[in-house]
Amino acid sequence: MLPTPYVKCDYEKVYEPAEDSFLLLDSLEKDLQFLQTRFDGNLAIVCELGPGSGIVTTFMMQNNIPSHNGALYLALDINPWALEGTLQTATLNNCIKENGHSGYLEPVQSDLTTGLRDKQVDLLVFNPPYVPAEEVPEIPDTKENIDQWLDLALLGGVDGMEITGKVLDSLETVLSPKGVAYILFCARNKPEQLVQKIMQEDPSWDIELIEHRKAGWEVLSVYRFMHK
Amino acid sequence: MKVLTTNFLKCSVKACDVSNDNFPLQYEGAKCQLVQNENIEFNPEFMLNILERVEWDAVVRVVSELGNAGLPTTKPELPADADQLSEEDIIILRDLHTLLIQTSITEGEMKCRNCGHIYFIKNSIPNLLLPPHLA
Repeated sequence: MLPTPYVKCDYEKVYEPAEDSFLLLDSLEKDLQFLQTRFDGNLAIVCELGPGSGIVTTFMMQNNIPSHNGALYLALDINPWALEGTLQTATLNNCIKENGHSGYLEPVQSDLTTGLRDKQVDLLVFNPPYVPAEEVPEIPDTKENIDQWLDLALLGGVDGMEITGKVLDSLETVLSPKGVAYILFCARNKPEQLVQKIMQEDPSWDIELIEHRKAGWEVLSVYRFMHK
Repeated sequence: MKVLTTNFLKCSVKACDVSNDNFPLQYEGAKCQLVQNENIEFNPEFMLNILERVEWDAVVRVVSELGNAGLPTTKPELPADADQLSEEDIIILRDLHTLLIQTSITEGEMKCRNCGHIYFIKNSIPNLLLPPHLA
């Protein structure tokens, strides 16, 4: 079993790693061999959306996921506290090394992938705000509105799918030809129906359930999206 | 952010996606503070791989905006395998390592060539968020 990063952030400002975070780590670990074969030591542009505390990006950097020859790890979050947290967690776990072989971390403040050049991301990872709510909260005006930043990390609007839906719609534009995306869902997002619908509309998608787990009263799952 | 990262960022404004001027962003050299970390070691495999991926014209453009006009206009031709690098190849790669990996923009501004929106880099972190009326 691969080691889990040590995380120590201010959880009033960033999402505290929980079952969903760990399910993503387990999914990446389960697919380690698959990813290494797919990228075959080549460079990878990795992008985590909404890294929060940075646990998943740090885990990937620690364990050379997906490739031994280094990667550019873009950590994209709308929450300025999360970008600081991600840097802090990566530093705490000794991932910001200067030996040039563990890849390079680049935190970027952005709203999902709107600021990324097309078709560059080889590995995309997303633990979205998936909790169903009446609406997606507004983006806070200032960095100091701490509670609002946390709401943004949790609440996903109708069916909890408003944010994930945007990312799914942009996958085609964002992923490189070999690109792979790991996205987390809860049962109330109705991922099975969704996956069927996507594959029916475009049969070139290859979508697989990688891990699922009951966590309290939630059932969480991680799906892998790529082109055949 | 590393100079390398400029090769992966475009304007966030959706309407600019139909333009060819939303990438690369335009860096205002005089307002950009550059810091070089010479301790980051040279990784030839990574450099070879990343060179395959970068859009060279954008590298040349951004680097020249940041004050270095010395890059060739065409991407250097290099062997696929790090074992086959000649001494001259290594010199080229080392120079690019210095420019793209060791050099960071810690404070600065970048502007979309299409819509003119200005984005800021603070504490080495680029901010690509748009104000509500543009998002």
